[in-house]
Amino acid sequence: MKRVIPRLLFIVVASVLIGLFFVSQSEAFSGRDLAKGAKGDDVIELQARLQYIGFYNGTIDGNFGYGTYWALRKFQEQYGLPIDGIAGKRTKKKLQGISDYDEKFVQGQLAKGNKFTYYGGQPLEEQVKKGSQPQKQMQAPPKYTDQDIKLLANAVYGESRGEPYEGQVAVAAVILNRVEHPDFPDTIGGVVFQPGAFTAVADGQIWLTPNERAKEAVIDAINGWDPSENAIYYFNPITATSKWIWSRPQIKKIGLHIFCN
Amino acid sequence: MKKIVFFLMYSFIVLSIYTLGTTRENEQLSIALNTQYANSISDASQKLGELEDAVKKSLLFENNKSSSKEREDIWRLSSDIKSSIAMLPVDESFSTSWMNYLGRLGNYAKESTEQGNPNEYYEVMQRAADNLTELSSEWKVATKGMLTGNLSINHWEKKLRDSPEGKENWSKMGQSVMEYTETVFPLTASESDAQKKKNLSGIKEDKIAEEEAIEKFKQLFPNVSNDLIVVDKSRKGSPYPFYHLRFAENSAIGYIDITQRGGHVLSYLVERRMGKPTKSYEELEQFAEQFLKQADYTDLVLEEARENDIAWHYVFVRVHPENGAKVFSDPIHMKMAKDNGEVLGLDASEYIRKEKLASQPIRKVDWQQFFRPDVEVMDEQLAYVEDRQMQQRLAHYLTVVSDAERSETYKIIIDTDTLEVITTEKQ
Repeated sequence: MKRVIPRLLFIVVASVLIGLFFVSQSEAFSGRDLAKGAKGDDVIELQARLQYIGFYNGTIDGNFGYGTYWALRKFQEQYGLPIDGIAGKRTKKKLQGISDYDEKFVQGQLAKGNKFTYYGGQPLEEQVKKGSQPQKQMQAPPKYTDQDIKLLANAVYGESRGEPYEGQVAVAAVILNRVEHPDFPDTIGGVVFQPGAFTAVADGQIWLTPNERAKEAVIDAINGWDPSENAIYYFNPITATSKWIWSRPQIKKIGLHIFCN
Repeated sequence: MKKIVFFLMYSFIVLSIYTLGTTRENEQLSIALNTQYANSISDASQKLGELEDAVKKSLLFENNKSSSKEREDIWRLSSDIKSSIAMLPVDESFSTSWMNYLGRLGNYAKESTEQGNPNEYYEVMQRAADNLTELSSEWKVATKGMLTGNLSINHWEKKLRDSPEGKENWSKMGQSVMEYTETVFPLTASESDAQKKKNLSGIKEDKIAEEEAIEKFKQLFPNVSNDLIVVDKSRKGSPYPFYHLRFAENSAIGYIDITQRGGHVLSYLVERRMGKPTKSYEELEQFAEQFLKQADYTDLVLEEARENDIAWHYVFVRVHPENGAKVFSDPIHMKMAKDNGEVLGLDASEYIRKEKLASQPIRKVDWQQFFRPDVEVMDEQLAYVEDRQMQQRLAHYLTVVSDAERSETYKIIIDTDTLEVITTEKQ
């Protein structure tokens, strides 16, 4: 009996420890499956773990693009998992079993805007370059850069922050329509800063910090929404000084703005 | 009393120094801006002369290839002048017509090097050369003053805006350029087709009544369509008439645009307070597909998806029934809420413009020969895409990686018949 009690105690303690180990492992990733196009902290973890074991050489930025996709497929292929490029339960479990993730280090570097890698077997401090990694905040079609999106958000906020959401998306869409139109410059910067084109540029309101609503409006516009119905101009009839703008064919009115061709 | 006098004197001195500083700063800024504008004007003036020369030089040769350098110059210079004009605070109607003219001139010169009739080129460019000579002298008159340094940009702008002479110069130039564009570079057949598609001229269906549009909305989005704020019609200038419905239900505010002809949804978007994300990517994709099926959009496949803070954006594209090619010009965009899986947005404006697609030979290609050895083709499909002449072409739609590390991924689109690379896009 004396021998049985310590053995039983040992089994109980060991079971608790093993249980805790698995619980902590399964809670590391969020419960959702990760596919191409996803973003967030769990994608950061996925990229970091893949990099730790040498499958991923790209930037750890939390955006599940092609780089992450190919790395994940290669990992799945090598470890006999179904090769679908999706980080489901089995893939995540396998990955957790053979890699390490120092969340504090990775998130810390991201917060500081440092350029860094997370390869296993190398001292972490040697894998950091200070303050040189721009943060990608939003997922956009590849033809748009982060700078384009930021500039669009500034323009939308400066021009239409008091307007309904639809009107804000429409303002962003007008800028994008101009970029595609032969009568205007070919870049977002060129269109926004074309002299006399936007009041917010003339009065400096373009440099106000845009809110989340303006950013969301830009995301919708670059993802294909155009509430202006192909307009290339808009104006506020109460404040417009140009007579010429009244000669443009009008399409629709949203809030205080009339959108036209 | 002494203290008050001292305080007033002190305030006066501080204020004077501040005002002096601000005035100097403004003056410096104004000088810098004037210099920049004068530089753009001088640049545009010089390049306008060079462009005129290049157009004239290109007319000396019988053979397209012999004048390829001049044609390249025409393309480059028109693009440069376009940028300079864009930087100037000139009359909006003039700058838009001028940029259109320059764009067309440059593109025509470039495209006619590879394909095009030398006689037609001679005829078109002879007229362009005459126009440029005329414009060049008008430009000199309109920009007089800015280049001599006698006029600030504010005075120049004011002069252009207010004086009959200034107005006359710009409106005359704007009018001339517009006429030149219409006569020298009329819309090509494919551009005209593209315009018709954009204007939804192809929709020949019957007009629906306002009540029918509301009914359509209720049928598609029963959760948000019970409280309409505004039911409006598009304005007279709209190339295609549509109903514009605005709604506000619970915390959701949004709009839907429905064509008057045929009652097709152009776009729908809703804004509301968002809860915690609970739906997975797969669930949202399923919801989106179910919605499309119920709405009778049955010929689509998912092309790409992007996650953002509150929603996933999905792009579906039409599939050609015969060869299974994706038709990239006929997409439907969907925005799905991460909190409850609701459709937050739908844009079918391009989908309803359905492209007319011609059959085309498909040449087999050995990609190992086509690409360099370190390039690997990861996926191969067929797709219809618009080429530079704005014509729909059947193409090989390839996903390739550039090296063994697979660090860079590209989407490459290659004409199935001519094997011309239509686009290469880095992912």
